[in-house]
Amino acid sequence: MSGLIREIRFLASDRAALLWLGIALLVACVSISLGLREVATQRAELNALIEIDRAEREMLDMLYQDWGDVAYYTFHLTWDSPSDFAFAALGQRDTSPWKHQIRALALEGQIYETDAENPDFALVGRFDFAFAANLLAPLLLILLLHDLRSAERTAGRYELLSATAASRGSPWFARAALRVGALALCLIGPLWVGGLLGGAGASTLVQASLVVVLHIAFWWGVCALVDHFGWSSPVNLTALVGAWLALAVIVPAAIKASVESIVPLQDGGEILLTQREAVNDAWDLPKAATMEPFIERHPEWADYTEVSQPFEWKWYYAFQQVGDQTVEPQSQAYRDGRIGRDRLSGSLAWLSPPALAERAMQALADTNVAATLTYEQRVRAFHKALREYYYPRLFRGEPVSTVSIEQRPQFRGKES
Amino acid sequence: MSELLRARDLTKTFRSNTALNGLNLSVNEKEIVCLLGANGAGKTTTINLFLGFLEPTSGAALVDGTEVTADLKQARSKLGYVPEQVSLYPALTGLENLDYFVRLGGGHPDESHLRGLLDQVGLDQIAADQKVGAYSKGMRQKIGLAIALAKGARALLLDEPLSGLDPSAANEFCRLLRRLADDGAAVLMATHDLFRARELADRIGIMKSGTLVEVLSPESLDQAALEQIYLNHMHDDETIGEAR
Repeated sequence: MSGLIREIRFLASDRAALLWLGIALLVACVSISLGLREVATQRAELNALIEIDRAEREMLDMLYQDWGDVAYYTFHLTWDSPSDFAFAALGQRDTSPWKHQIRALALEGQIYETDAENPDFALVGRFDFAFAANLLAPLLLILLLHDLRSAERTAGRYELLSATAASRGSPWFARAALRVGALALCLIGPLWVGGLLGGAGASTLVQASLVVVLHIAFWWGVCALVDHFGWSSPVNLTALVGAWLALAVIVPAAIKASVESIVPLQDGGEILLTQREAVNDAWDLPKAATMEPFIERHPEWADYTEVSQPFEWKWYYAFQQVGDQTVEPQSQAYRDGRIGRDRLSGSLAWLSPPALAERAMQALADTNVAATLTYEQRVRAFHKALREYYYPRLFRGEPVSTVSIEQRPQFRGKES
Repeated sequence: MSELLRARDLTKTFRSNTALNGLNLSVNEKEIVCLLGANGAGKTTTINLFLGFLEPTSGAALVDGTEVTADLKQARSKLGYVPEQVSLYPALTGLENLDYFVRLGGGHPDESHLRGLLDQVGLDQIAADQKVGAYSKGMRQKIGLAIALAKGARALLLDEPLSGLDPSAANEFCRLLRRLADDGAAVLMATHDLFRARELADRIGIMKSGTLVEVLSPESLDQAALEQIYLNHMHDDETIGEAR
């Protein structure tokens, strides 16, 4: 009977260990299944919306003969498709929008809108693989390892084992390694199955597996450190659960509070409100008060600023843009602040391995703050392209034509 | 005869409590030394210091010339240990338990060798293939001794190995120890059992409150001397009062 087979037999006869490993396998399978279902739902929703968006635009393009009407009534769906690994870490996709319907009106009034069904629930987060692997798995590992030696002490075998063992690490290292390996297998096995079903690349899966292994290895180290003191099983368990509570719950909460305090951030809603007020006020201001700041930004239309009628579309779209210009500093500060908070959170996450592993998973899944900001920038770029498309037609008063409409920018989803 | 176990001014204190006070003792090959004393006399502390489970406060424990604190691995490789309760893995058979512990010690035994060891300690082949959960204490003690033998240990440390054994099993165990000593082993055994110690030991160390108070030869122990030791060293004060 080889050493490994013997340790496997010991593990197989340890009902508690089998229970914890079974729970690990179950939570991994359930979280991955939920993640795959969520990604499939989001993709199906996007596919349906893309089709509706295209059909609606085709219909609207036939209806209007004025570029102002076309620009006003035509919505353009923008979206951020979930990556093939998003099933494992849904991350910011719970709380940040991943689809927007954009018009050529003021952007700042549109970009902070979100259709999260219930933001309070969304803040709690999803039961995804990242949660299972980074928050629950350490607890299960603690339950698997906390009484490795102390249980032998209780059983009265410890002294005989220690006196007989050829090395100090024997048999504890092999025994712990087997449990750690089994736990990692219970997590990584379903992850790979989910990854293959979801189409994730092998490189991503290898990196995610490495994150899982390194994170578990860290907790193994914590368990070994506590074990070193030779306390009883209940004391070991209390100390380890305390460490888990500190590193997985208290430190991340403290990091969040510290980051919010160090990097104050204006509410996106305030930007929206300021921009709306600027747009609404424009109706009551002299036309020149709108056109002057507009021309400062777009001198190429300086010869077309005369507004002779009480309402002209070019004036309307000009004050939409001026509304955006009014909140540009706040909007930039908001983006910079979010980037600053994300960077600071990333640095402080080294204090909490579960938070660090969570961030690594979200980075691999493209569901982190950086991915959200990238999507936002793509929406801004698309909106800018829309304006650049409509302005010549609005200011020059060109007639609507099918050929011209076909040149209108189309939003393209990112390559996955 | 070479000296396999030696305690040199061996002292162990736990805060203000001196568990072992300057013990000087040696056990040679082919010799059995029994340590007698009441609970808390320092017998188990002595054994734990030789095994490296405790660090001495001062002095040294040496196994075949190797200081335990200097090279624990080397010292332990020459030691066999049989605790008061040999607790084994109840789901494994006697043979499997022996195999496990032998491999743990770095050995690569084949089955026939292990069966030979079990035969040597008097465990029959049918029992060897039974799960240890069903073993009596005496059978488990035999496995414990087989583990020590399998290591090729030159020095054996036994902590109350006879405690709880029925007279027949205790006799058999003592005969086995005598045979091992005759084959060259040095045996240091902690026990409460005066009469067995007199029958088995080559020398008897009397311990009280962490101090080795006397070293006697069994031949010098007549009935009166045994009673005196019993009254003076083997009971705490209250019990002695009752005995008187």
